[in-house]
Amino acid sequence: MSIFALRNPVAKKRWQRFRQSRRGFYSTWILLALTLCSFGAELIANNRALVVVYENQWFFPTFSAVNSGKDFGLNYSYEVNYRQLQSQLAEQGDGWVLMPIIPFSPLETDLIAGDFPPHAPSLTKGHYLGTDTSGRDVAARLLYGFRTAIVFSLLLLVFNYAIGVAIGCLMGFWGGAFDLIFQRIIEIWSNIPFLYVIMIVASIITPGFWSLLFMMAFFGWTSMTWYMRTATYKEVARDYVMAARAMGASGSRIVFRHILPNSVSTLVTFVPFSVASGITSLTALDYLGFGLPPPVSSWGELLKQGTENLESLWLVGSVVIAMTLILMLVAYIGEAIRDAYDPRQFSYYE
Amino acid sequence: MTGYFIRRFLLIIPTFIGITLLVFAITRLVPGGPIEQLMIQAQLGGETGSLQRSQGGGTLSDEQLEELKHYYGFDQPMLSSYVRWLKQVVQFDLGTSTRYQDPVWQIIKERFPVSIFYGLTTLILTYLVCIPLGLAKGMYHGSALDSWSSAVVFLGYALPSYVIGIALISLFAGYWDWFPLGGFASDNYDDLSTLGKAGDIFHHAALPLIAYLAGSFAVTTLMMKNALMDNLSADYMRTAAAKGLSRSASVSGHALRNSLIPVATSFGNNISLLLGGSFLIETIFNIDGIGLLGYEAIIERDYPIVMGILVISSLLYLLGNILSDICVALVDPRIRFGGGSST
Repeated sequence: MSIFALRNPVAKKRWQRFRQSRRGFYSTWILLALTLCSFGAELIANNRALVVVYENQWFFPTFSAVNSGKDFGLNYSYEVNYRQLQSQLAEQGDGWVLMPIIPFSPLETDLIAGDFPPHAPSLTKGHYLGTDTSGRDVAARLLYGFRTAIVFSLLLLVFNYAIGVAIGCLMGFWGGAFDLIFQRIIEIWSNIPFLYVIMIVASIITPGFWSLLFMMAFFGWTSMTWYMRTATYKEVARDYVMAARAMGASGSRIVFRHILPNSVSTLVTFVPFSVASGITSLTALDYLGFGLPPPVSSWGELLKQGTENLESLWLVGSVVIAMTLILMLVAYIGEAIRDAYDPRQFSYYE
Repeated sequence: MTGYFIRRFLLIIPTFIGITLLVFAITRLVPGGPIEQLMIQAQLGGETGSLQRSQGGGTLSDEQLEELKHYYGFDQPMLSSYVRWLKQVVQFDLGTSTRYQDPVWQIIKERFPVSIFYGLTTLILTYLVCIPLGLAKGMYHGSALDSWSSAVVFLGYALPSYVIGIALISLFAGYWDWFPLGGFASDNYDDLSTLGKAGDIFHHAALPLIAYLAGSFAVTTLMMKNALMDNLSADYMRTAAAKGLSRSASVSGHALRNSLIPVATSFGNNISLLLGGSFLIETIFNIDGIGLLGYEAIIERDYPIVMGILVISSLLYLLGNILSDICVALVDPRIRFGGGSST
């Protein structure tokens, strides 16, 4: 991990302690791998084939424009059904098709004759985790839903921390009336029942991805301000800030070159909790029906379908297991980061 | 100290006005408010909002529009109607529900007992379980009990309580049918004996209570354990050991009270849960409490109830914060709030 250029001995020691907590270290890699997988979700769960070889010509339908059925000698001109093509070419023997691991796209309804969705998990049909109530593949939706959730919570984190750090730092640096006014504002903001107010707003304007993000950032930015305000107050009182002032450093230079580098690093300890709370609140909103609009794959929407169809246990089961996995990983990472920043040595006297 | 708490109580007023004004403004100013929604709905023949009454199709006439605006109080400027609303709230009049045509306060009052039942049981069970468990985990750190309970605590810590609730209801009520699917009591509740009534309520309450507990259980246990372990390595514990006190005597005599401080801090936050319940858990288990009422009111755009619940839950939350501080002051005589010129 030389990208962080750990010249600072304190940071180096923290990094070493973080690596020493095996559980947290491996969790970080697993979570990173899962996130990368979800960014390549189109290659893992898709109804378009990865590779088609037809009459010695190579096609890569995932990345190319829509291929019509006629391109492959089929009798229709709408988009090719690659799953059908796969079995057809295997029979004819003049080519082959490589499908993704999950050969369904998250928005595609797969209707099986003689049965109503939700379909139970089955290896032969390719629905490893079954389908939801409109016949969409659960595994595919789980994967795309994870991408939505992780991207959403990371963006939310960036927004919240940017606003929180900026305002908290200015409160500590300027003090006085600015500090007082924002203290009151933050007290009001942090006493707002978060989920309830988001529900009220979301019931008025049907939110999209970005509007939901801005909404949640609008009501949720306060958590970092108190920490940053205290940290800035502490740093401003230190001698090196006074020295910088005496040398004629401008306010912005003191803030950006001296105070922020010394106070921001500890924010890392809060990151895992913010990610976890971002994922859980987005899922909760989706579950209640106030989250992202319908066709978007989301865990909350799957949970909702699952609780409405309790006999189809695979719906609730797969989401709950996926959430347990992700949130446990995040919690392990959080534990490891906290240990790295604040090594506790327990002892007692008898 | 009394002066400090009086000041804290007085500060509730501006904060309360701030919160309600903000939400009031949002319901008014955001484009696509209730009136626009109704108009769109009327144009679409009342098909959009599934739970809303149909307006009969076609566009609304200006008269109907005026009537609607008057009905929601939208015919007046935002600030003046907020002041009117606030005046009523101060007189304990939360308005009339647009859905039930009953006073909001009465509707909310009817739901209180259910939420209080769950809140109070959760509160008592949490402290009954967490304090001894945290104590045992802290004293025997690294033992089998500690590592096994850690696994459970960690699961409760990582998973939000609503996910646990959904998992519980689909496994134990949906799949195995051991517990009812929700509700507060059976339909034949009135015909049961007193013992049967209690059994029936707890049969219904078991799953939601576990879900409620899962939320606060992990945090409180960990808090108790960590605080105790910090105190176990403190200097005064060495002194206690040096003068010959046994370990249990030194813990119960010295470390325990100090370790309760952080637990006491969280007490006030549980007050809001006590009455407010949880939207998610009440929705999942179909418990007819305040949370479910709020959820339904939002869906049905019953703004007087929405605002009424906001008033009650934010007041409880603010009072809970102050109560936390009072608890801390009671447990820890060293803490002097508002003493000197603290920032």
